[in-house]
Amino acid sequence: MTSDPLRTKLCDMLDIEYPIIAFTHCKDVVAAVVNAGGFAVLGEAMHSPDEIVADIKWIREKVGDKPYGIDLVLPSSVPPSDSLDKLKDDIPEEQRQFAERIIKEHDVPTPKAEVALHKWGGLNQDMARAQLDVVLEEKVPVFTSGLGNPAFILEAAHSRGIKVFGLVGRARQAKKELEAGIDAIIAQGTDAAGHTGPIGTFSLVPEVAAMAGDTPIIAAGGVTTGRHLAAAICLGAAGVWTGTLWLASRESDSDMIIKEKLLAATSDDTVYGRSVSGMPMRTLKCVWTDEWAKPDAPKTLPAPYQMLLSADYIQAANDHRREDLMFEAAGQGVGFVTEMKPARQIVFDLVEEALDVFDGITADADSAVPAGG
Amino acid sequence: MPDQRYDVRPGTDAAMAGKQAECDGGGAIAGTRFAGRQEFTGTLTGEYVDHGEPPWRWYLLTDLTAKPEGYAEDTVWCEQGSLYVVDEGRSRA
Repeated sequence: MTSDPLRTKLCDMLDIEYPIIAFTHCKDVVAAVVNAGGFAVLGEAMHSPDEIVADIKWIREKVGDKPYGIDLVLPSSVPPSDSLDKLKDDIPEEQRQFAERIIKEHDVPTPKAEVALHKWGGLNQDMARAQLDVVLEEKVPVFTSGLGNPAFILEAAHSRGIKVFGLVGRARQAKKELEAGIDAIIAQGTDAAGHTGPIGTFSLVPEVAAMAGDTPIIAAGGVTTGRHLAAAICLGAAGVWTGTLWLASRESDSDMIIKEKLLAATSDDTVYGRSVSGMPMRTLKCVWTDEWAKPDAPKTLPAPYQMLLSADYIQAANDHRREDLMFEAAGQGVGFVTEMKPARQIVFDLVEEALDVFDGITADADSAVPAGG
Repeated sequence: MPDQRYDVRPGTDAAMAGKQAECDGGGAIAGTRFAGRQEFTGTLTGEYVDHGEPPWRWYLLTDLTAKPEGYAEDTVWCEQGSLYVVDEGRSRA
């Protein structure tokens, strides 16, 4: 074991103190984690190019020359038609009526604002492309692709000094991105929040690490403690990618109702299903997911139809801050998120606990007396 | 494939036509900050479009033998980097 097991090749690549990456949608969390010696990536998938430019400027003012990342979602499949009106017309009556029944039985109010889905207007590649243009023009230190293979943008990014990380859920996705020359792979197991594949973190990370050579692998999915960090290093990762951990941090702009739900949740309180979007994703359980899981519920529809059904519910729950309806994406490690701490403290607690784990392993090994020794 | 802002250049890759392929697809979930994955298996026609610059290539996958339950279409556009040829098949060229 090296003198500092947390000094990994990811630290060397990014010139950071700790191999901890915070994935967050909150700029304040980015600044706090980066300034604490970790690394942070701001999720910008739903932001306009102008908003991304503004966020990058803000982050630069807060962290100076320290590196940070921007995450986008690159679509990897697109249906041949995406007219919103046509899609809505195509929703089967059984599922439409079931959604209406949930709305009625749970007294879900009318959204206050226009439903975000209806004004976003982009189910195709144009949005991602425009966002990517900003990343390239602004020369952000690291671009991460939260979904989709960023190989096509590698040369353009590298020529501007931008490192590119790809998030994968299967070994074959990692292999393809490694062959293309990706700078780091985020191997995300099914324990993670939001969209995940079916393979567990404990299986996926070593499988990807075995094929990665010198390219850093970053473990994601269920990572919320220093023990997870230490385990990830032992599995062959050079760092961890963490999301749920920051949602209830003091800096997080998550609604206080969501923070309280996260702090109270255990690993039993997440659900992996298709009722929100038609695509598999892990969230906190809520009225919507519970209803669609009942035996008499109709089958969920594929994307984008299911998201058209859930959009009003989601918007209304958040607009009216209905505690009984609100939910958030959350990973299975949520049970370890029990205090609303400053992000800086979370970084230090992770590091301290991981180092304690490594010290414990070393002490155990030192105290073991070999037979005949 | 509807596009407004970026140049889209269609083409045909005869070498890909007729091959069976899997697509590790998915994308952003509109109106939310979530994303999701979708998987497809089908046959490549060889038709593609290059979107913008540097080119972002999308192949047309048809005759879908595996797709998300309830997916109404018989075709899907799949990004090159998320496409896995599983059987060389018969060339349609």
